[in-house]
Amino acid sequence: MNTFDLFSLKGKTALITGGRAMYGKGATCALADAGADIFLASHSLKPAQEFAEELKAEKGVNVEALSFELGDVDSIRAMIQTVLDKAGRIDVFVNSSRIIPQGDGGNGWFEDARQMEEGVRVNSAASLYMTSLVGEQMIRQGSGSIVTFGSMMGLIGVEQHNYDGNPAMAEGAFGHIYALDKSGLTAWVRHAASYYGQYGVRINAVCPGGLKSDRTNPVFEKEYSKHTQLGRLANGDDIKGIIAFLASDASAYLTGLSIPVDGGYTCI
Amino acid sequence: MNILEQFSLKGKNALITCPEYLYGREIALGLSSAGAAVYLAGPDEAALEEISKVLEEAGVPAAGRYAYVPGTEEASVALAEAVKRDMSSLDILVENSTGMRLKGWSHSYEEIYKILEFTQLGVMMTVQKLGEIMASQAHGSVLLISDYAALAGCDPQNYVSCQDYASEDFSLEYGYVKGSFVNYARQAAGYLGSAGCRCNCIAYGPLAGSKPEAFEEAFIRHSHLKRLASPEDVAAAAVFFASDASRFITGTTLAVDGGYTAK
Repeated sequence: MNTFDLFSLKGKTALITGGRAMYGKGATCALADAGADIFLASHSLKPAQEFAEELKAEKGVNVEALSFELGDVDSIRAMIQTVLDKAGRIDVFVNSSRIIPQGDGGNGWFEDARQMEEGVRVNSAASLYMTSLVGEQMIRQGSGSIVTFGSMMGLIGVEQHNYDGNPAMAEGAFGHIYALDKSGLTAWVRHAASYYGQYGVRINAVCPGGLKSDRTNPVFEKEYSKHTQLGRLANGDDIKGIIAFLASDASAYLTGLSIPVDGGYTCI
Repeated sequence: MNILEQFSLKGKNALITCPEYLYGREIALGLSSAGAAVYLAGPDEAALEEISKVLEEAGVPAAGRYAYVPGTEEASVALAEAVKRDMSSLDILVENSTGMRLKGWSHSYEEIYKILEFTQLGVMMTVQKLGEIMASQAHGSVLLISDYAALAGCDPQNYVSCQDYASEDFSLEYGYVKGSFVNYARQAAGYLGSAGCRCNCIAYGPLAGSKPEAFEEAFIRHSHLKRLASPEDVAAAAVFFASDASRFITGTTLAVDGGYTAK
């Protein structure tokens, strides 16, 4: 097969959760560019439907928005069942959904118990559960590629210097939940790879660095960028290539990896 | 100071959570024999009693015991209060509460959450509340006890002659839990470091005699040192990280696995 064709997702069914905003949006665009039939599961159905319509019009692919809540196990099961009822299979699963736990005002190291509980209940337990359910379907198929979102913060600790001049951001930098969850994921993909490998199913994590947004603090951006090798925060396009690569047969011999997509931040 | 004296834990207070889980007994004995006053905290009174007996028989009796079920704020606050009441300072915290695991890959959501509540929530709250005590003292060493699952997935080749054990060892969440310590140590080291405290992780290989024979043979075949861990191997690494001999080391993970993951 032509090497370029290996990257194609034509004829493949892809499920992406949380694929409407931030990095997830870029990931969904990548799946669409590669020609996949996409199910876009989001907690915000209406904007997800609007995004799906945009993609259909722009890229001529099948995109269907589905509603689900990561914190509601019944809705996870129902969402996966809907995909299977409609498509009969899931070839690619991109998990980019997570919640930001709301608590009673604790921040960073002082996150409160309610935030921690919600983080473990949703971002940890529900995510593992959801992935295991999709994994069961891929095992039945004897094939599939799972891409889960880790983070640069699952690979390294916090550079305090990045928050110089931003005491509020500095205070929030040492959160327990995000650190523990993303750290666990980078190790977990090795275990999941060693379990799923025998069934022809692959799993990898992408570990992005900081993403520039409208709200990015300019002082933080300047300090942070100094610590990357490419001298900048990520933009929305930077995630696309790795998603298309890991989702497709172009990465047929890659499994169990946590791949930094961080402009070289973690290489020093 | 004499280099050997730097390894001494004389005059230091150490708290070990859930010492009944893997490696806890060996670490408790090691810290005690290096001179620390060792306090035990865990949910199982009978298990704490049993570890206390082991320490007593070794001539290094436990300094105290606390009933502690990790996973709730109330429990970790109560433990922190007891520590402040009973100890002049908390010098060493050994977080060993993540020894439980689900067997196999497919589980209900409720099962998954229940175990993560005990392990993940427990770790965060224990480190947060007891770490604060250390921060207020401006010294202390936190040890997160992990194992080789933090650094490598399960190798199916190790289970060829013990398939039953494979269905137990391929645990859905165990790698996630143990693996999370590697970088959590770095993150916690950041906050604790600014207060003069340290946090490190130890990734132990299996203790000799703790696994099915066929698995142990296969594991040894894939190790550099061609043997499994001894109780002394486990204890020595913990004493090193607990002591002033490692005073400039923080945020690291030490593999004590005979080189199994060094390949």
